[in-house]
Amino acid sequence: MVCAERGTAGSEGSVSHRPTLSQVELTGTGEGGRIYRGRLTEVKPTVNSSFVTSITSTSPSFLNDRKRTVETAALIVVLVIALALFFDFTNGFHDTANAMATPIATGALKPKTAVLLAAVLNLVGAFLSTEVSKTISGGIIREDAIISAGADLFLSLIFAGLIGAITWNMLTWLLGLPSSSSHALFGGLIGATLVGAGLGGIDFGMVLSKIVLPALIAPVTAGLIAFAATKIAYSVTRRYDGKPDGRDGFRWGQIFTSSLVALAHGTNDAQKTMGVITLAMITIGWQSGAHHEPELWVIIACAFTIALGTYLGGWRIIRTLGKGLTDVKPAQGFAAESSTAATILASSALGFALSTTQVASGSVIGSGLGRRGSTVRWRTAGRIGVGWLLTLPAAGGVGALAALLVVWLGNWGVAIDAVIAVVIILGLFLRSRRNAVTPANAMSDVAESGMAIELPDTPPPTRRQVRIEQAKAEAKARAEAREKAKAQAKAQARKDAEAKAEKKARAKAAKSSTSNAGAKRNGESE
Amino acid sequence: MNVVIDWIAFFQVFAAALLGAAAIVTFYALGLRLLVRSGRAPVVSPAEFTDAITAISEKELKRPEKQAAKAARKSPLTEGQKTVALVGAYGCFALCAAAVVAGILMLVIGH
Repeated sequence: MVCAERGTAGSEGSVSHRPTLSQVELTGTGEGGRIYRGRLTEVKPTVNSSFVTSITSTSPSFLNDRKRTVETAALIVVLVIALALFFDFTNGFHDTANAMATPIATGALKPKTAVLLAAVLNLVGAFLSTEVSKTISGGIIREDAIISAGADLFLSLIFAGLIGAITWNMLTWLLGLPSSSSHALFGGLIGATLVGAGLGGIDFGMVLSKIVLPALIAPVTAGLIAFAATKIAYSVTRRYDGKPDGRDGFRWGQIFTSSLVALAHGTNDAQKTMGVITLAMITIGWQSGAHHEPELWVIIACAFTIALGTYLGGWRIIRTLGKGLTDVKPAQGFAAESSTAATILASSALGFALSTTQVASGSVIGSGLGRRGSTVRWRTAGRIGVGWLLTLPAAGGVGALAALLVVWLGNWGVAIDAVIAVVIILGLFLRSRRNAVTPANAMSDVAESGMAIELPDTPPPTRRQVRIEQAKAEAKARAEAREKAKAQAKAQARKDAEAKAEKKARAKAAKSSTSNAGAKRNGESE
Repeated sequence: MNVVIDWIAFFQVFAAALLGAAAIVTFYALGLRLLVRSGRAPVVSPAEFTDAITAISEKELKRPEKQAAKAARKSPLTEGQKTVALVGAYGCFALCAAAVVAGILMLVIGH
């Protein structure tokens, strides 16, 4: 399916690039994906030459200017890589430790162990798959649009997009709004490209099917799966005789499932930064556009950065988690984690880039609903939902603003953006130094989503429990009725006996009176 | 503009995730159930009492252990039946682990 999609995208793009299409035909590859890739390799040299000639035509000295442009472009690439890695770090810092929200809340793992485990497994997960990275570096933004915009401008646009993402991330963090680093990243990139390269620059089919729709659907499906999994976990272990049910054992299981979640995070979250860096490398020509796989050093750098961010960000989750997820039971946590891990891993395999935080939140809500007697707090749920929907367009807006600066002011715009980035990074650093914990910043998003479900202290009985209760009540009623009937029978018997005795007595009395009367009569007759 | 959306892929993800999660949870829960049946009810107290967990006393921690021991003593099953249940429990846990490994292998090798 992926191949077919790429094929369509390729044939669409080729309309504006007649010569390349004929070149592809010369290569004679039949498969859709290959045509697309083939076209790219053919186009690449022309990009650089046209880009360079456009500069040289206006410049007095050919060599100097060419050198300067290459230097500027290289500088911007370095800036993009640095900013992308910083984004990776912040992503690990306040998203990825969420993988450990539920095991800490149920006491399956010590907070410090949990955070260390999350960091290590994110590192491992980052090496497992590169599908998501390929989605970003090779699908969303059309290469032909990059070409028409010019590599230099396009690099600045990626830069602007990253600025948009980081700004929005920080803003939501300061305001305590639920948000998603991943959506901020996509929003920023898309917004910047829209401004810089126009509507044609975005492959909307790809954006819809690999980012927007997964973003909307994944938390809901994760919730549904978690709901079903929670029902299964409880119904399989439920006992009706009051003996130990062994649900404590889910605490052991949670160690494994939460590790799996951390691993899944690595396969999805770290990939996003790899994709952005690879996109920048392809644009400047340091990496061939023929393949979209990230270079090994990119993978290693991203993996270690996100792991470091996770580990350093862990203290936050240790301190704050206790205030949120108070009511998660081991069986429920186990179900939520397996649903999160399964959803993220399956999505990573197909290259869907989704927000891991939102999937984890969806699972916590779904598994909460799977417990008996739970009700939704619609206010909290609505707030979370709005935050989810808002992130992409809002980050897009910020990214677009940053891109406008670049389009209007050229390299000066990049410089202004860079200054803004430094200010934001400093602000973020100072903010993280401040130790105030208020309700606005205290809770992780996953913990907050747990608040959307209200659970009673004593759950209502299950149908079978109701049946058992009914049967008990009936048996009791029957016993009582029997008891009553017995008592009645006894009373009746006593009554009968009394009546009999009375009758006897009366008969006796009557007899004696008749004998008296007889004696009288006898006496009279005498 | 021709927008192609791959709906089948969404369904694939949903089906795969549902299947995987359901398999893991079912086998693990079944394993626990059999473990309890074999007279070895797991008693796992929280690793650390964070703010989220109500701290309980040593005595309260011991109570579930005592209950489990009592239930095991009163179990009407024979030794053979208990062994079968224990083997079944470990079998379920193994299946659960196999499902996880298979999922990760599919992710790594599948592409």
